[in-house]
Amino acid sequence: MKNPPFNYHRPATLTEALDLLAAHGDDAKVLAGGQSLLPVMALRLGRPDHVVDIAAIDELKHIATASGALSLGAMVRHAQAETSPMVAEHAPVVAAALPHVGHRAIRNRGTVVGSIAHADAAAEMPAVCLTLGATLHLASATGTREIAAADFFLGFFTTAALPEELVTSVTFPPWSATSGGAVVEISRRHGDYAMCGLACAIDVADGVIESAALSFFGVASTPIRVAEAEAIVVGQRPSPALFAQAAEVVADVLSPDSDIHATANHRRQIAAVLTRRGLAQSADQIGIPV
Amino acid sequence: MTPGYETGPTSDRQTSGLGFVGQRVKRVEDERFLIGKGNFVADLTPDGVHHAAFLRSPFAHARILSIDVTAAAALPGVTRVFTAAELNALTNPIPPFFMADGVYTPLYSCMSEDKVRHMGDPVALVLAESRYVAEDALELIEVDYEDLQPTATIDQGLDTSREQLWELADGNVLADTSFEFGDVDKTFADADRIITRTFECPRQTNQPMETRGCIVLVDPDSGHLELHNTSQAPHFLKWAIAALLVNDGAVRNLSTFLRNKERRKAFSSASKEFLKTNIDKLKSSDPAGQKAQLSKDKSMLRHQARMAMGLLAAEDYPTVKAGDIGGAFGSKGSVAREDIAVAAAAKATGLSVKWIEDRVENLLDGGQAREERFTVSMAVDEDGTFRGLKVDAVLDQGAYPAFPISGVATLLFWKVYMPGPYDFGAFQLNGKIVATNKGKVVPYRGPWANETFMRERMIDVVAAELGMDPGELRAKNVLREETMPAALLTGPTLDETMSVAKTLDHALSLIDNDQLARDKAAARERGHRLGLGIASYHEAAPGPPNFFESIQPGSDMFLYEDGRAEIQADGRIVMYTSQSPHGQSHQTTYKQVAADEFGVSMDDVEIVWGDTDRTQFSFLGTGGSRGGPLGAGVMRVTARELRRQVAAVAADMIEASPDDIEIVDGNIHVAGVPSRGIGYRAVAAKVARETGIADGPVFAESMKYEGVGNGGWSTATHVAWVDIDLETGMVEIPRYLVVEDCGPIINPGIVDGQVRGGVAQGIGAVFYERHHYDDDANLQSGTYMDYLIPTSMEIPDIEIEHLETLTAGENDARGVGEGGMIGAPAALTNAVSDALGVQVLEQYLPPHRLLELAGVIER
Ligand SMILES: Cc1cc2nc3c(=O)[nH]c(=O)nc-3n(C[C@H](O)[C@H](O)[C@H](O)COP(=O)(O)OP(=O)(O)OC[C@H]3O[C@@H](n4cnc5c(N)ncnc54)[C@H](O)[C@@H]3O)c2cc1C
Repeated sequence: MKNPPFNYHRPATLTEALDLLAAHGDDAKVLAGGQSLLPVMALRLGRPDHVVDIAAIDELKHIATASGALSLGAMVRHAQAETSPMVAEHAPVVAAALPHVGHRAIRNRGTVVGSIAHADAAAEMPAVCLTLGATLHLASATGTREIAAADFFLGFFTTAALPEELVTSVTFPPWSATSGGAVVEISRRHGDYAMCGLACAIDVADGVIESAALSFFGVASTPIRVAEAEAIVVGQRPSPALFAQAAEVVADVLSPDSDIHATANHRRQIAAVLTRRGLAQSADQIGIPV
Repeated sequence: MTPGYETGPTSDRQTSGLGFVGQRVKRVEDERFLIGKGNFVADLTPDGVHHAAFLRSPFAHARILSIDVTAAAALPGVTRVFTAAELNALTNPIPPFFMADGVYTPLYSCMSEDKVRHMGDPVALVLAESRYVAEDALELIEVDYEDLQPTATIDQGLDTSREQLWELADGNVLADTSFEFGDVDKTFADADRIITRTFECPRQTNQPMETRGCIVLVDPDSGHLELHNTSQAPHFLKWAIAALLVNDGAVRNLSTFLRNKERRKAFSSASKEFLKTNIDKLKSSDPAGQKAQLSKDKSMLRHQARMAMGLLAAEDYPTVKAGDIGGAFGSKGSVAREDIAVAAAAKATGLSVKWIEDRVENLLDGGQAREERFTVSMAVDEDGTFRGLKVDAVLDQGAYPAFPISGVATLLFWKVYMPGPYDFGAFQLNGKIVATNKGKVVPYRGPWANETFMRERMIDVVAAELGMDPGELRAKNVLREETMPAALLTGPTLDETMSVAKTLDHALSLIDNDQLARDKAAARERGHRLGLGIASYHEAAPGPPNFFESIQPGSDMFLYEDGRAEIQADGRIVMYTSQSPHGQSHQTTYKQVAADEFGVSMDDVEIVWGDTDRTQFSFLGTGGSRGGPLGAGVMRVTARELRRQVAAVAADMIEASPDDIEIVDGNIHVAGVPSRGIGYRAVAAKVARETGIADGPVFAESMKYEGVGNGGWSTATHVAWVDIDLETGMVEIPRYLVVEDCGPIINPGIVDGQVRGGVAQGIGAVFYERHHYDDDANLQSGTYMDYLIPTSMEIPDIEIEHLETLTAGENDARGVGEGGMIGAPAALTNAVSDALGVQVLEQYLPPHRLLELAGVIER
């Protein structure tokens, strides 16, 4: 359980970091909080020749808003986001997700963007990005680009980011007073990756659901939205019956795998239960008790 | 947080008149542990030490066709690479220790050279300047494996058509034994009903916070080895290393020795003398086990000559030192194959070597446990009277029998324990052991514990069949003081310490059935189900004088514990224990006991443990819940004897009668006249002057202690309340009650801690921990992402009631280390059965399984 040898770089600026990634490409890995990368290296499941530690780059440490949209730099730790009033106000679903991410000690080092870039299918943050319609900001030595969360997650631990690219930040669109959202999950123990989880959000106008997003994690190779269930609730008034109907559709549509922690049937069952619980919590947040 | 823990007295203040024993004294170990000043093996890195790493098999079962270490050996920083063949040539095979009729125990070497039998089986050893480099080198070793059919389950183990792990076995069945007490056929024929169920217990693994590890230092001049090891049993390890490292010197000496006529004569007359004095013991020992072993494999005889302790000279023995140990739960009582390999490598190279097991290795083969199946038949009468018990048990031992305590020991314990604290008229056990391609099974905190699970679960099944209340059914059949037989059906004697009935009655009195009914209804309202489960058990801790005789004739080395007390020339009090503490707070407990005997503060007493040069031989070290009864007992009697000797000298010095001497806070004086007292220092100084001993002990006493009475039982009843969310399968434990009786308590805080820790592991066993192998015997729970140990978030408050039954004897503390874990799985699964209205037949109940049993989801 000791990592193989590697070259360690600790650039002070973004430009330096991008040059290093350009130079080493496939042989390099970005190191953010290290909470996923270092175990992978210790188990020798990953063996980058070059590790580019971005912890010293001040340009990546911001928590900021612009026109109501929240932006988190790549070096914002989970714990910083968790305790940030700005995050709580502008992206309450992000704030709701964070206490579920591992334990506090892990959140003290792990980063929000690192979690997104790592793209664990059972992680909270990728699903939150999908539900909120977040945008990932990428940079390389040759330029920058933006990718919508919906196009970012390609498979198990696989994203649209290229090896020479760094995810510099994530932005979440403005959150409105008519929006309600929740992150609910069931894990074997407190702090474990969920057997199944849900990040959901709804917008309500005149008592009617105008839009809905239901993104499940831990049930497929990426977080997935269940459009069929979203369609059931849109245009309707929140009610237990409606949410139960959506839950049934979710159980029908998902085809999760079995593993030693949960069977496929159990995951489907939990997904249905979470659909009801998550939607009810979301409605509750905008003052509609269900 | 334990109430009262914070307010307990500290070790430097004797609560006047009361003494330390019986008080919630703060643990003296805590400070060094909490500030990172513990003395653990991994903390030691002697200058010039070489770091070891093992290449381990990625396959469950495979033949090794070839191995090439050239590239690894050439890597800069690598000192030496040993193949399995090289290390095996330097060591003797590991012999069977427990033998019984119908049992074959395969002999095996410290490394695997022709065949691997489980994922993690060691095939090569690298020594390098750092563990990093050593692991780099492992990747350069090329091994050519040829797949063999793996055996992954008990069913496959019983299937004789499968590929054998061990050539000389019958298929993969290593043991097929039978024990009977009373007239089973007649009892079953006469009973009103026979109820039969099969229970499955999946695999767990002992998971101490600290993994295994050892450092072997080699004296450059003498070649003497010094081992720093995480051993629960340093003396056994010392013997095993001496016996298992090939020592041609000793064998040669023996032959030269025997060629000399004079010596031969002396030797043979000494042997005759030995036979004459021990003839009774030799006659009573049962040779059937040896016969069974030899009928399969005679090679044991060839190795026996080398291994026999008597042939080894004092200088053949290494020194073993065990410092602080971060838990073991039984796993560190076994001599690791790695310990032998590392010692052999150090001896062969003359280099000091350090091996610290990492968690991946530990999960692969640090010690696994409890994968067992029981088909239980209970003969009962309609009125609920228990008549007879019949059990067909199969134990999945994994690939290698642990040394010295293999699965055979568990079978033998089952033989004695299975009928429990109940009045059965007849009992039969048919026990089998199968070999499978999985990590080795070791004792795990109450190694026989599944007998309590299967019996107490079965009692609830019977209660349901008869339409009786499970608590009442137990109360009706439990052994009671008024009608207590002299001995259990299975042999061990009884006295008032067999107090299960008292714990049961008290526990039942703490259950409010009306409240339970209301809570069940409220749970139902929320879409949950609530249930209550009871389990009772008894444990030999240390058990009666004939306990080990009942397990296996000739095992009386387990009966007693040695100890030593000294007063140094400068007046310091030093106590020597053969125990090897690994989290049980021996240091605190023994200081409490000795300080009270000597009339000093706890800080005035030094406790020495773990160093085989300074402590006396003990086969078991710390194990078997003996630290309280025997370990503390011998501290008490040796301290008392030394106090007597000191008082005699002091009486002389202050011109008083020894009978009038009182010692308070280290002041030795005539009762009532403290102002004219003297200290230990003055008494020691006088003796030192008179004897000319300037440095070293001026008073010293070594004694043996065997416990008291004809019982030595520790008993308890557990009651669990379990709440299950029928939507998700998630479980909560709103209340957990333990009523236990381990006799007079030395330190309630420490006893509570032992009970809680045991219950926590029982909760783990039922709801979280499963060491999961797939159908090809590939380990699925190879990291802590997949082997789930409950954390403080999952463990409820645990209510503990102590009964403290006293016997006529002194030093009456009984063991409490294992019990928590023995009772909990049965209480919890009984509660789940009650909650769901289904008779649960398996021990491991993850959320999805609970929902399947509840009919919420399909399997
Ligand atoms: C015991 C434990 C429990 C955990 N439980 C959970 C949980 O319940 N839920 C959960 O979501 N997570 C959990 N985690 C993971 C944790 O959230 C990590 O923080 C997260 O997965 C990765 O963040 P990091 O900053 O540590 O990334 P690192 O480990 O530094 O990097 C992870 C990967 O992402 C890449 N990367 C990181 N930052 C960037 C970037 N800016 N641009 C491009 N690539 C980048 C790295 O190259 C690497 O491949 C757990 C971790 C542990 C150790």
